[in-house]
Amino acid sequence: MAKIIVVTSGKGGVGKTTSAAAISTGLALRGKKTVVIDFDVGLRNLDLIMGCERRVVYDLVNVIQGEAGLNQALIRDKRVENLFILPASQTRDKDALTKEGVAEVLEKLKAEFDFILCDSPAGIERGAQLAMYFADEAIVVTNPEVSSVRDSDRILGLLSSKTQRAEQGQDPIKEHLLITRYNPQRVTTGDMLTLEDIREILAVNLLGLIPESEAVLRASNQGVPVTHDGASDAGQAYADTVARLLGEEIPLRFHEMQRKGLLSRMFGGNRR
Amino acid sequence: MSLNVDSADVAFTFKGGMLPMTVMELASADPEHIRRQLAGKLSQAPAFFQHTPVVLSVEKLDEPHLALERICAVCRDHKLLPVAVRGGSEPIRQSAWALGLGWFPPVEEGRARILESVSERTNDAVDPAATEVVEERAADAPVALSETTRLYRGTVRSGQQVSAAEGDLVVIGAVNAGAEVLAAGSIHVYGALRGRALAGIHGNAQAGIYCRELEAELISVAGTYKRLEDIDPKLLGVPVEVHFVKEQLEIKPLA
Repeated sequence: MAKIIVVTSGKGGVGKTTSAAAISTGLALRGKKTVVIDFDVGLRNLDLIMGCERRVVYDLVNVIQGEAGLNQALIRDKRVENLFILPASQTRDKDALTKEGVAEVLEKLKAEFDFILCDSPAGIERGAQLAMYFADEAIVVTNPEVSSVRDSDRILGLLSSKTQRAEQGQDPIKEHLLITRYNPQRVTTGDMLTLEDIREILAVNLLGLIPESEAVLRASNQGVPVTHDGASDAGQAYADTVARLLGEEIPLRFHEMQRKGLLSRMFGGNRR
Repeated sequence: MSLNVDSADVAFTFKGGMLPMTVMELASADPEHIRRQLAGKLSQAPAFFQHTPVVLSVEKLDEPHLALERICAVCRDHKLLPVAVRGGSEPIRQSAWALGLGWFPPVEEGRARILESVSERTNDAVDPAATEVVEERAADAPVALSETTRLYRGTVRSGQQVSAAEGDLVVIGAVNAGAEVLAAGSIHVYGALRGRALAGIHGNAQAGIYCRELEAELISVAGTYKRLEDIDPKLLGVPVEVHFVKEQLEIKPLA
């Protein structure tokens, strides 16, 4: 039975779509049959990050409104087997999504996939609520910054009240914290919140920590999820994150300032 | 909190406050009917009728006009001081003002919950049998407290509101920024208090706030409040207790 995971944050621009793309790619690379759904109707981005924007014909709203079949709308990833993208509509708005329609789409996908990732829009309105409503697990993406942490806190509150699991009194959604754009140097100088601060405020299990990295911007612009860039710090951090999602115990990396040793001074750091 | 500029030349200061207030909810518009019932109550619980200020609520009455002056006179005869009217039609509002009374809008949906329990309590106070029960409880505090205390486990998150309408609230966890905890009694937070905490919401000035780490946006006891900005920075981040002492909030480190 497929696991439905929502990638959410409340605040915009913290790296939800980047993380949804990177994690779904990582899961597929580990042999899990994965689909990633863009719930950001009207502000579609996932297709760009996944590099499949030229192959979009039908979208989630078409499927929900019965204008296209699910298999017509699913886009097969060119780089990894087992990975599919269900894009959002750019011309509609979030009112085009209905709870029943989303439920029906998810039900069909569940039969075929191991993991269903829902890339939530920013905010706490309809689109975000529908993206989280049917989730089994949630990845809350947070930047080391006060407004992002407060919005994540708000989202965690909604996850425990405005979801199917909460409303039907089932086991609560399993919540994970994913900290992105972490810059140990700026944490040391006090520009950013520390890892400990964030964990203390949000009181949620830490799934991963992604360092601020040039590789992420490059990956987004090239339309290649950063997980494919195995040499980069961010690529490795996402691979660790995926391993933890699959239940492996992996020590945390990239959260401390790197002391430059003799070798790295001579040959340059491994940060690219 | 005060708006004064030059303290030497100040005749008064405005302060925000929530005072305990008895609401007299009228089910009849007939002054004589009210008089008969008041006379009965007066003989049962004379202690209650000590020039007690009351708000006359006419929301349950479906009458556009009211013999408001006569009703007020009946109240005063029984040592109740009407100070304001709540709800009612435009003519009722005009006559309230003409009589020198304040006027409050009818209870909104959202606030109904809190105010409902206020009026429940005041009903209790008028009913002498209930008054005794309250006194009994005061003498036997631990038992009575546990009946109304609400225990909340986990983090109270931004946007969430947890309240104990009748007694104390105990939170095992943190109250995060943007969250709100309310209690008729005291509030105990076994964690960091970063959001808003309002104790004694029905006017119980004996209520207190206790927390492991004070970072609160706002703390209030019986309507008197302090914002984060008003709190001595030395008290932030440490375990404290907050009480209402000499008309203001006193914050002390927990020894």
